[in-house]
Amino acid sequence: SECVKIQVIGMTCQSCVKNIETKMATQKGVIDIKVSLSENEATVMYHPIKTSPQKLCEQIEDMGFDASVAK
Amino acid sequence: MAQVHEFKMEMTCEGCAGAAQRVLGKLEGVEKVETSVEKQQVLVTSALPKDTLLETLQKTGKTCSYVGTQ
Ligand SMILES: [Cu+2]
Ligand SMILES: [Cu+2]
Repeated sequence: SECVKIQVIGMTCQSCVKNIETKMATQKGVIDIKVSLSENEATVMYHPIKTSPQKLCEQIEDMGFDASVAK
Repeated sequence: MAQVHEFKMEMTCEGCAGAAQRVLGKLEGVEKVETSVEKQQVLVTSALPKDTLLETLQKTGKTCSYVGTQ
């Protein structure tokens, strides 16, 4: 498995955080996800064969947030 | 013809409202989106079928339901 940090813009409260964690945890290839509101960041552990950082960003974007791979 | 569709959506803050605005804003055929956290309400002006709009809103992960046209 691999780990990626994704910058997430648009979260304002813990319900946004919960929301993203709950939904993303069910996406294909996601092993674990932790979202930090104060850092505007999601840390995702994933199976590189089943998904990719780009795909994960797209899925978060789909939920109505801006997401990009953190450098 | 575009109609104003009313949806009920569980929103706890402006962040939730912003998410609703963004998912609907990406959809072609949506003219206007108005959100009210206070009323737990999303008003969408669009000629698209209500099911398309509801499915899009549900992508936010929030609980939402269709109320009707205004
Ligand atoms: Cu929030
Ligand atoms: Cu919120």
